[in-house]
Amino acid sequence: MLNKKPVKLLALPAIVWMGALFVLPMLLIAALSFLKRGTYGQVVYEFTLNNYIRIWDPLYGQIFWDTLVVAVLTTLLSILSGYPLAYYISRLEPSKQKIWLLLVMIPFWINFLVRSYAWVIILRSQGVINTMLQSMGIISEPLPLLYNSGSVLLGMVYTLVPFMVLPIYVSLEQMDRRKLEAAYDLGATPWKAFWHVTLPMTKTGVVTGSILVFVSSIGMFVVPDVMGGAKSALIGNVIQNQFLSARDWPFGSALSIVLMLLSMLLILLYFRATKASESKEGAV
Amino acid sequence: MKRMKSLMIGAITAVLAFSVVGCSSSEQEAQVLNIYSWADNFDPDVVKDFEQKYNVKVNYDVYGSNEEMLAKIQAGASGYDLIQPSDYMVATMIQLGLLEDLNKENIPNMKNIVSTFQTPPFDPDNKHSVVYTWGITGIAYNKKFVKEQPTSWNDLWNEAYKGRVIMLNDPREVMGMSLIKNGFSNSSTNKEELEKSFADLKKLVPGVVAFDTDNIKQKMIAEEAWIGTVWSGDAAFIQAQNPDVEYIIPKEGATIWADTMAIPKGAKHKELAEKFINYLMDPEVSVKNYESIGYSNPNEKAYPLHSEEYRANKMIFLDKADIARAEWLVDVGDTLQEYDRYWTEMKSGR
Repeated sequence: MLNKKPVKLLALPAIVWMGALFVLPMLLIAALSFLKRGTYGQVVYEFTLNNYIRIWDPLYGQIFWDTLVVAVLTTLLSILSGYPLAYYISRLEPSKQKIWLLLVMIPFWINFLVRSYAWVIILRSQGVINTMLQSMGIISEPLPLLYNSGSVLLGMVYTLVPFMVLPIYVSLEQMDRRKLEAAYDLGATPWKAFWHVTLPMTKTGVVTGSILVFVSSIGMFVVPDVMGGAKSALIGNVIQNQFLSARDWPFGSALSIVLMLLSMLLILLYFRATKASESKEGAV
Repeated sequence: MKRMKSLMIGAITAVLAFSVVGCSSSEQEAQVLNIYSWADNFDPDVVKDFEQKYNVKVNYDVYGSNEEMLAKIQAGASGYDLIQPSDYMVATMIQLGLLEDLNKENIPNMKNIVSTFQTPPFDPDNKHSVVYTWGITGIAYNKKFVKEQPTSWNDLWNEAYKGRVIMLNDPREVMGMSLIKNGFSNSSTNKEELEKSFADLKKLVPGVVAFDTDNIKQKMIAEEAWIGTVWSGDAAFIQAQNPDVEYIIPKEGATIWADTMAIPKGAKHKELAEKFINYLMDPEVSVKNYESIGYSNPNEKAYPLHSEEYRANKMIFLDKADIARAEWLVDVGDTLQEYDRYWTEMKSGR
């Protein structure tokens, strides 16, 4: 009992921090979303539901859908490229593991914008790849590697894949290897053992990683701008425009709120789905 | 843990250092000029000279867009004494009551400004603002790939340049271009005119390599884009790096823009800001300043003092006939929502 108070106090800085810098701004955004835009882009303090009615325009529905597709693709590609890497790292000697984990994290030391521009330098028509291929005589005209949906996806996966690798690595590390040995003893092929033992046991890592990647990619607007040539409209870009060129903060706030509710709903569904299959396996 | 500790100490030292700086600046409050402007908008030496001449300190913060600046000024108590809104933003800020009246007695050099900029439509009597830099959005093109000199906005739609056209990442500029091409005003609020110009613009989009404002120069220099809508000042910069790039103002006309000097409402050092404005419009000072930043000097008295090279650059000193055909962007009020919807629709590719 005596111990409880100081322990509670430990959480205080975080609570104050989150309250002031997360909860309060969120409430402000929620309030803004019910106000009106003035003729000159100022916020008029009059209640309206118009911002939410406007979102029903099929145009915005399409953009939400496009954004979801990109986010889901980013998440899937991150699993496909991140899982093997995490698996490989978890099988190394501990000293080598440290080096590999460091390599995964090093990109975070460099500003994200700088890294995006580095990709531009690699991929553009006078970039590293095109100049190399041209000087080797493999191509005569530069390939259009940049400013398309492929380069946007590449940028997204590149930026977010560490968020997938680290949680999967942790769950691989914590896995009880004896169960794998048991599977082999019972005559499972490596693939079967992976599918029926390793994968289900590392599901937590995949779920955590997926949520981190999905949530980050759904609001992304820098990558589509820098690597996509600002040619596509993802919901993050549309929201950014409301706060800048359109000077329509209430509508931008309404879009943000809908985006947040939508991702919460999807994550909830995702949790449900993974939980359901887990309990089914438990029964087997 | 040790690293944590040294990090903490570092952070605390930084906070202390800041508060010490804060104290010393508030002590001599009367002698500080706080500028909020675009990056690299002054010659550093010119600012230094001003500091020495009047024994003051100039603080210089930067913003990347008019809207970013507006948001900060609107929030109030920004502490800035001098800002540099663009034309349409001046009009908006006047409407919102965010700009001080300039005391022209403190700015006698205002009469040096060329007459065309003495009566700009966004602030007809220069009551709140003075034009500082200006330019026109025209067509920049690379002679290596664009063999025939463009004369019209129509040339951007040329199939031969498909996938190599660059556009400013700005709804008003791009919609304005298409409106002008179709013979309308660049600030039209007429639904049919907007619809027609938008339909036209949509046909151009598949040929666009990128929409970009901040890095459009690099994309032209690196020849990723062959042709596109570029500000005259940027075109001058591009040509200095890549001599194959040329610049024209299309025959249909174009959008003219200006960044101004203005004082936000409630500025603490209004008189000092006016002194600075006056100083920048001194002919000799302005020659030094504008040749350094590479923009067009609106100062008529300074023209004969400029170097041959600067005067000969037709991206800096645009043709009188071109200027006559150019049109200012005007705030479109509630119609901005329409512009934004079109812009979103265009980007979504539907």
